[in-house]
Amino acid sequence: MEPTSPNALADLVRLAQRGDEAAQHELIVSYQHRVAGFVYAMTGRSDYVEDLAQQVFIKMIRALDRLQAPAQFESWLFRLARNTCIDQLRRQKLRRIFIPFGEEHENIAEPAGAVGTEELDALRHALAQLRPQDRALLALVQEGRSHAEIAEILSTSVAAVKARLHRAREHLREHYQPDHET
Amino acid sequence: MKPEEYAWRQLQTHAAAQLRRGFADRVLRAARGPQDETWRQLQAHAGAQLRPGFAARVLRAARQIPGVPSLRDQFAFSAATVALCVLTVVFIHSRSVRLEDERNLAGWEQLADEVQDLVHYR
Repeated sequence: MEPTSPNALADLVRLAQRGDEAAQHELIVSYQHRVAGFVYAMTGRSDYVEDLAQQVFIKMIRALDRLQAPAQFESWLFRLARNTCIDQLRRQKLRRIFIPFGEEHENIAEPAGAVGTEELDALRHALAQLRPQDRALLALVQEGRSHAEIAEILSTSVAAVKARLHRAREHLREHYQPDHET
Repeated sequence: MKPEEYAWRQLQTHAAAQLRRGFADRVLRAARGPQDETWRQLQAHAGAQLRPGFAARVLRAARQIPGVPSLRDQFAFSAATVALCVLTVVFIHSRSVRLEDERNLAGWEQLADEVQDLVHYR
């Protein structure tokens, strides 16, 4: 599904930048599952996945012509995804301050076993205990981003990424209990 | 067996009975942390939330939502707004000044007429 080589991807991005709809469509199809996975890891909510993924790809299409280096498309796309999810989580937090009665409606946890195996439930539970920034960090690593790319996405140094990643992994492991009953 | 030794055995047996089956396996899985396969499951579950035709819907939505105006457009809009406000203020000011002048002039004319009438009577 995904472009087979970095060159093929860069060519596809260039075509999409010129407004080629078929290329834009192919980019979305190629990355929709990965972006959806990232959004789900960040929010822990199945019902947010389609809306947020759509927001990410609309931003992508709008801003594509401003991407200077087509070879860095993936890092750029996941930066958009991270920022979109963090904005959404911030808005949700703000809304809770102003509409306190809405909280119970907003945080309906998916029951254990509703989304998959015991391991997946445990991972969802463990991710939910982390800060959004740490969730983003772990999800970016799972996406195969290098430390240098993550440092660029988060506008920080490689050393800081390594340190934060170590702490995030520790926290995840602390909360990861495959027999946990949510 | 000494009574205290027996008691310890009892305690141990009771404690061990609290551990559910598969305890060692669960401990190992927790200690290893989530495996790549679990992350893949997470991604697959998330991917399944996207309804068919997702890409086409995104492209349609991107075309329908008006784009964010450029910085140049925003400046042009601000300049036009400022110019309109200045013109409105100038127009209202000049109109009120003209009306005030006309009122003053009418007052002076009336005064001059009254003075002339007075001179005429004398």
